[in-house]
Amino acid sequence: MTHPAIKTKGLSKRFGDVTAVDSVDLTVESGEVFGFLGPNGAGKSTTINVLLDFVNPTSGTASMLGLDVSEDRKSLHNRIGVVPENYGLYDRLSGRRHVELAAELKDADEEPDELLERVGLSRDDANRPAGEYSTGMSQRLALAMSLVGDPDLLILDEPTSGLDPNGARELRNIIRAENERGVTVFFSSHILEQVEAVADRVGIMNEGSLVAVDSIDRLRRQLDTGAEVILNVDSAPERDLGDLPNVREIEVANGSVRGTCLEPAAKLRFIDRVRQVTTVTDVRIEESSLEDLFASYTGEDTTDSQPEPVVPGGVA
Amino acid sequence: MSVRTIARKDLADAGRSKMLWVVTGIVLLSTAGITGLLAATSGMAAREVFALSFQLAVTMLPIVALILAKGAITGERESGSLRMLLSLPPSRRDVLLGKLIGRTALMLAATLVGGLATGLVVLTILGGTVGAVASFIGFLALMSVAFVALGVGISAGSASDSRATAVAVGAYMILVALWNLIQTAIQYGAVELGLIPAGSEPAWLQLVGLFPPNRAANAAYRATNQGQFFGTDPFASAWLPILVLLAWLFVPITAGYFRFHDAQIG
Repeated sequence: MTHPAIKTKGLSKRFGDVTAVDSVDLTVESGEVFGFLGPNGAGKSTTINVLLDFVNPTSGTASMLGLDVSEDRKSLHNRIGVVPENYGLYDRLSGRRHVELAAELKDADEEPDELLERVGLSRDDANRPAGEYSTGMSQRLALAMSLVGDPDLLILDEPTSGLDPNGARELRNIIRAENERGVTVFFSSHILEQVEAVADRVGIMNEGSLVAVDSIDRLRRQLDTGAEVILNVDSAPERDLGDLPNVREIEVANGSVRGTCLEPAAKLRFIDRVRQVTTVTDVRIEESSLEDLFASYTGEDTTDSQPEPVVPGGVA
Repeated sequence: MSVRTIARKDLADAGRSKMLWVVTGIVLLSTAGITGLLAATSGMAAREVFALSFQLAVTMLPIVALILAKGAITGERESGSLRMLLSLPPSRRDVLLGKLIGRTALMLAATLVGGLATGLVVLTILGGTVGAVASFIGFLALMSVAFVALGVGISAGSASDSRATAVAVGAYMILVALWNLIQTAIQYGAVELGLIPAGSEPAWLQLVGLFPPNRAANAAYRATNQGQFFGTDPFASAWLPILVLLAWLFVPITAGYFRFHDAQIG
């Protein structure tokens, strides 16, 4: 039987009066790519700090690969690769020396140059002291260190911060490649698109609680934030468009008509209705953004629209 | 395995810090330089010059050792490299021991170089025995290591580098700069309270005088030179101050370890 890659039960952490993590039950299955989302201060970092045995939980248990995060930490840390948040490098040591250090500490036979090349650091870069690295290069080096010793589980805390789009894409490729080798990847991020692009499932933290765990598609469906349909028109419709089931916030401005459609058929009815009154020259549809999805769980008001339930029997 | 790797890493990393070498170089050269000046101009015997030079060294080396050691853990904690290290297999104990060994090796190297330079200066100008140089270097080294252990212990017990610096400087002020005053104050206080007759120095008060590592090293050095290793009077023999020095090697670092063990590396 394979153990879950990560399992917490009733995990809580209080700092004085502040409850940073409140009774979190989280299970990350072996072999999946799991995105851990949440705004700053939601308890993501504290959860990861407990998993890495940087802080002790106030109550509850946490294990990874079936090993207790504190009692079995040595054997556990031999089998995981980590890019911690707010990590630092040794300014005066070269990039290669960093990877060698990780290999020595993990008792791994590793060819540092191969790993460095894999994360996109050239030989010249590898010979330079890490103090001269840009944020992106440091992040690549940290990733190379985490890959030392073929870990079974990768824990990446905000791994994309400081990476340019190119670097972020390469990171996604590495995550996918590692996952294909059977590695479980757990990574936290506030950049939602990057989570969507690579995660099988996501967990969303808010105010210390795990408020949702599911695939992004299913979360989106559950939530039905709807899609915005934008129609470019020759002339503004003279008649009122009237009420349409499951279409709301119809707005006419600047040569376009827009409306939020809560289900697929509503989009067609909306387009048909507008075409009855004017000439449509172009159609654009914007799916609800991940930000909307995120906001609906975390209560961060990034848009003015609140999710509205689909009216049953809306399709006449 | 982990301990050795971390110690080697620390040597390589801290050893490349220019500031460290400049400070160490200035202190050691000034010790050797002043000693050389004394030897060449004062007309004192080699033994007296060594004794004076030892006095000088026990006030200079502690601050070098403390500065060298106080950032051992807090430096890594603040830069975040501690998070990197603790994400890897080494435990906090491994990190602390590795750091202690690395900094001790650095301080020993500096003390040996400085002590040898000073010893050679005296030997060349005034002559003397190799044994005198050996006890000179030996006790300076023991004291330096005691201060490194104190500094690393302070570092392990501090949440920030600035606090470690403040505590290290405070320790230097109390143990080295102000201990005479403190001892005198304790003596006056004891007389005032009627605990001891005026002018007397009971054993416990002599022990107070031996308490700082620099005082203990000085006493041990003097006793050794007089051949009093296991004398009947413990305060005139080397074994008691050596025991005090050994206690400094273990107690602060152990206390620091317990604090570091329970620290939240947030």
